[in-house]
Amino acid sequence: MTAGRDEMVDGGGGLRPHWRRVLGAFASLAGELPERAARLDRAAAEEGIASILPGTERAPAWRLDPVPLPLPAEEFAALESGLAQRARLIEAVLADLYGPQRLLAEGHLPPALAFANPGFLRPCRDLVPEGARLHLYAADLLRAPDGRWTVLADRTDAASGLGLAAENRRLLARVLPEAFRPVQVRPLSPFFDLWQDSLQRLAPPGSANPAVALLTQGVAHPHWFEHLLLARDLGAALVEPADLTVRNGALFLKTLQGLQPIDVLLRRGAGRLIDPLELDGATRAGVVGLLDAARAGAVRIVNHPGTAAVEVPGFAALLPGLAWHVLGETLALPSVETLWLGDPAQAARRTAAHVLCRALDDAPMPAAPDIAARPWEWAARAEPPASMAPCLEGDHLMPRAVVLRLFLVHDGERWRAMPGGLARVLAAGAVLAGRLPPGGVCKDVWVLTEDGSDIVGPPQTVVAPLALRRTTGALPSRVADTLFWLGRSVERLDRAARLVRAAAARIVGGGEISAREVAELECLLRCLVDAGVVPAEAAVVTSQAGLAQTLLLSVRGGRERGAITRLFAEVARLTEAARDRLTGDMYATFTAALRQAREETEAAGRSIDALSHALATVQRHAATVAGMAAENMVRGGGWLFLDLGRRIERAQAITAEVAAALDQKPPRIENGLRLLLELCDSAITYRSRYLTVIQPAPVLDLVLADQGNPRGLAFQLAAMHTLLDDLADDSPEQRLAAIAAGLLAEAEALVADVLAAPDQAAAAAALPPRLRDIGGGLATLSDRITRRYFALLPAAQSVGRGGGDGK
Amino acid sequence: MTRYRLRHVTTYRYAEPVDLASHLLHLAPRALPHQRVLAASITADPAPARTASRRDHFGNAVGWLFLDRAHARFEVTLAAHVDVAFPAPPPVARTLPWEQVAAAAAVTAEAAEFLFDSPFAAVEPGAGAYAAVSFPPGRPVLAGLLELTGRIRRDFAFRPGATTVATPVARVLAQRAGVCQDFSHLMISALRALGLPARYVSGYLRTRPPPGQVARRGADQSHAWVGSWLGPGLGWVDLDPTNDLVVGEEHVVLGWGRDFGDVSPVRGVILGGGEHSVAVAVDLEPG
Repeated sequence: MTAGRDEMVDGGGGLRPHWRRVLGAFASLAGELPERAARLDRAAAEEGIASILPGTERAPAWRLDPVPLPLPAEEFAALESGLAQRARLIEAVLADLYGPQRLLAEGHLPPALAFANPGFLRPCRDLVPEGARLHLYAADLLRAPDGRWTVLADRTDAASGLGLAAENRRLLARVLPEAFRPVQVRPLSPFFDLWQDSLQRLAPPGSANPAVALLTQGVAHPHWFEHLLLARDLGAALVEPADLTVRNGALFLKTLQGLQPIDVLLRRGAGRLIDPLELDGATRAGVVGLLDAARAGAVRIVNHPGTAAVEVPGFAALLPGLAWHVLGETLALPSVETLWLGDPAQAARRTAAHVLCRALDDAPMPAAPDIAARPWEWAARAEPPASMAPCLEGDHLMPRAVVLRLFLVHDGERWRAMPGGLARVLAAGAVLAGRLPPGGVCKDVWVLTEDGSDIVGPPQTVVAPLALRRTTGALPSRVADTLFWLGRSVERLDRAARLVRAAAARIVGGGEISAREVAELECLLRCLVDAGVVPAEAAVVTSQAGLAQTLLLSVRGGRERGAITRLFAEVARLTEAARDRLTGDMYATFTAALRQAREETEAAGRSIDALSHALATVQRHAATVAGMAAENMVRGGGWLFLDLGRRIERAQAITAEVAAALDQKPPRIENGLRLLLELCDSAITYRSRYLTVIQPAPVLDLVLADQGNPRGLAFQLAAMHTLLDDLADDSPEQRLAAIAAGLLAEAEALVADVLAAPDQAAAAAALPPRLRDIGGGLATLSDRITRRYFALLPAAQSVGRGGGDGK
Repeated sequence: MTRYRLRHVTTYRYAEPVDLASHLLHLAPRALPHQRVLAASITADPAPARTASRRDHFGNAVGWLFLDRAHARFEVTLAAHVDVAFPAPPPVARTLPWEQVAAAAAVTAEAAEFLFDSPFAAVEPGAGAYAAVSFPPGRPVLAGLLELTGRIRRDFAFRPGATTVATPVARVLAQRAGVCQDFSHLMISALRALGLPARYVSGYLRTRPPPGQVARRGADQSHAWVGSWLGPGLGWVDLDPTNDLVVGEEHVVLGWGRDFGDVSPVRGVILGGGEHSVAVAVDLEPG
C-alpha cells in the first residue's frame, strides 16, 4: 500500500505555502506546546466534550490535537461547491424516492437499493408535500495520494460532529490564542447564526416566534455532549422523546406551565425510531403520532426521517450515474470507487484491492459473508491511504492519517458549508467511513482567508418582540424532575458522609469503646441503616475493627458497589442530565468538586481514618453545590426544584435522626441529645445559648422548631412552604404548601409538649412515633410534588402487534 | 359477482384507564378492479379527538384515531357493503417458467418490492427447500404455486393458539401447525427464497361456505392469504394456503403489504391501561 500524501510537506520536502504561517505560530511556541496540549486536555475535561464524570460509564471521549488542519480558501471553495452539488443530487433522489418513485419505475434505481434497504421508511412516503427532505448534510472525505479530495461517505440521517467542531474551536482559541494571530481563520459563529435562522424559517407559516427543539435520546446517548452543545449554539430547546407529546395533530413540549408548541424538530437520533406508532422503534425511543403531526403540517422534522436510506455505500455506487441522469452533470467531488455487488457488471470489476462492506446498512460484518446468496447486500470499496497531517505526540509532531468531515446546511435557497469542520486522526484499524465513533483524537479545521471576508447570510427573518417574562416559562417537566432529584441526591450523599464520619470518630484511635460510645454508636448505626449506608444485619456494635470494616464497605467499588459509591454515580448521572440548565462554570465547579470527592474517597478505601478525612470533601461538594446554586441560579424554575429536593431530603434525615436519638430509655436520653446536636451541626449554637447543660426541650427546640437553624427541621419546612407557595397555581385543593405548613405546626407542637411535660426526658423518649409520622408526611409531600409537577405518565405500550386478533 | 355485508368489530378492554391512545387502522376495504366498495364506514367508541386518513405506500387506505380522554374500553367497528368477482387465473400453461418470472421480478419495481426479507417474513432457507419440490426447472409458475398452496393445506394443521404473530417461520415449519397468518408468512418466505415475489393480503373469508362446500378455516376472524406475481402482463394471483383456494368470490380484500406488519388491521400505542384483552368479531355474509 502506498503511503498517504503529506498535508504539510510537498514532494520536494518543502512546506506547502498555506502551512507556512500556521506552522510559524507553532514554531514560536515550540517548547511550550506539550504544556499547552495538557491545558487543552484539562479544559476539555473540566467543562467540555471530554468530561467523564465519576460514576458515569462512558467510552473514552474526544481529545483535541493542538495542531489544526488548515485549508486554503480556494480549496475550501471547491469542496463547498462539490459537496453542494452532491447535496442537491441527494435531495433530488430523496424527493423522488419518497414521492413519485420515477427513478425506480424507469429503471434508474435498482429496486433492491430501495426495497431491501432498512433506511427506506415506507410510512414516510409523501410525508411533506413540498420542501427539502435534506436540511443538514455532512460528508467524510479523504485526500487521495494524487492530492484530490474524495468522498468516503455521505451522512444524511443525523450527522454528528458539529457541536464538537464548535467546541474544538472555542477550546483552541482559549488555550492557544497566539496560533490564530499570524493567519486569518474564518470564524464558525456566522454559520451557526445562519443555521439557527434557517431552522426558524422552516417553521410552519403562522408561528410568530418559531420554537425549535433538538431531540436527543438523553444522557446515555454516546453523543449527548454534542447534542447539549449544539442546542446551546442554536438556541434550541434540548428535549428527549418523553418530554414531547402530540395532541390534536400538533407537537408540544411538556412544561411546568403546560404544553408549549414546537414548530421545528431537529432530530439527532435515527429516523426509523421517531414514531413508534408507525415505525418499528420502541415506544420510549420516539414520539407517538409525530408523523401524523408532520403530515398535518404542524411540525417540520429535519432531516426527514427517511434520509438514512441514501447514506449507504450501495447508493454511493450509483451517484455518478444518477448525477448524470437527474442533474445532467458529472460529480465534481466523486466518492472513492464503490462497487455495488447487486449489479453483475459492477461486481465483475471487483478486485482483491477492494474492501468488502455492507451495501445497505452498517450492521457488523459477519465472519464469512455469503455474497452469492444476497449480492445486493454487499458493496466493495477502494480505500486509498488517507493523507497525513502533523499531530502532537509527546513533544514531537508526527504525521498521522486524517479524515475530514465537512457540514452543509440548506438556507432555503442554497447549500452553505460550515467554514471549518472536524478532522479525525485515524488510529490503526479505525473504520474510515460511517458513524462518528464516540471518541478518539480530532483536530480543528481552519479555513484560511486572505481578505477577512465572511459569509453573509440572507436578511434576518422578522421575529415578533418577546413579551417580558419572570416566571419559570418553559421549564420541561423532566428537567424539574432531574433537578429535584439532584437536590435530594446531593443531600443524601452529604448525610451519608456526615454519619460515617461521626461513627468513624468514635472508633479511631484504638482502645476500648466506652459505654457512652456504645450507646452513641448504636444510635448512629440506626441512622446509617435508615440512610441505607449500612445493611440492617450489619448494624450491631462489635469490635472496632468490625465496625470499621462495615463502614469501609459503603465506599467499595466493583460489582457489589457500596451505598456511597452508588450515590456518587447517581449524583454524577443527575448532574449530567441537568447540564443544559447549568452554566458552564457551575457545571465545571460541580463536577470538579464531585470528581475530587470521588477520587479521595476511592483512594482512602482501606483505612477508616483516611476515609473520614476523605469524606470531608463530600461535604464540601454539597456546600459547593448549595453555594453555586444560591449565588448563580435565577430564583423560580430550576433553582426552586433543586432547593425543594434538598429541603425535603434534609427534613427527612433530621426527622429520622431525632427519632433514632430519642429511641432509648429516658435516663440515657442525654447521650442521644448530645449526639443530635453534633449531627445537626448545632452544638456551638446550643452552647452559646445554654452553656453546657443538656436538657430535652432546649435541644429539641433548636433542632426541630427553631426556624433560624438551617440544620434544623423547622427551617426546612418553612423553606418548603415558601417554595411551594411560589409554585402554586390556581387550584386550591392542590395547594401543597398547606401540607408543609401542617408539618411545621406539628413540629412546633411536639417541642411545646416536651416543654410542658413534668418529666421532659420521658416526654422526649415518647416522641419517636410522632416523628415517624412527620417523616411519613414528608414522603407523601414528595410523592405529591412528583405527581403534580413531573407529569409522570404511565408506561406506553403497543397493542395489536402481538397477534391475537388474526387467525 | 357476489355482494357481501361486512362487519368487523375489535374491542379492547383495559385493566386500568388509558389516558391517551393512538391507533393506526388498515381497516377500509380496498377498491380494486374486481372489488367494488359500495359503502364503508369506520366508527369508534369512545369517539376520537382526532382522525386522519390517507393512502399508504402500498396504496391501501390507512386511518388514524387519537383518543385523549381516559377510557377503560375501546371499540372500533367496520361496516361495509362490497361486490367481489375476482376472475379465474390464466390457464397454467400460459404462465411463464418460474425462473423467467424470478428474473423479470428482480428488475420490475412493482414486483421487486416483495422479493426481500421483511420483519415477519424473512427468507428462511428451510421454507425455500420445502417449496422447491413444487418448482422443478422449467415448470410454469402457476403450476408450482397451486401445488404449493395445496401442500401447505395438507401438511399443516390449523390450530388456533399454537402460534402468535411473532412466531418465526422456522418454528411454524418445524411444528407443522399454525393459523392463516403463519401459513401466509411461510408461503411468502418460501417463494421469496426461490426469488419469486410474494405479498401478504389482509382481508376476510365468508363466514359460511357456499352451499354444498366444506367448512372453511379462518372464517369469523381477520383472514390472510398470499398474493403471487405471475410475470409481466399477467400480474398477481391471490392464493389462500389455509383453505387451498384460489381467491374468487369468497374473499374480501382489505389491503396488502410485505407481511402482517404492513397491514395489521388495528394497532396502537396506549398510555396506561395495564393488562389488556382484545376481542375480534367478523361477519361476512352475502346479501
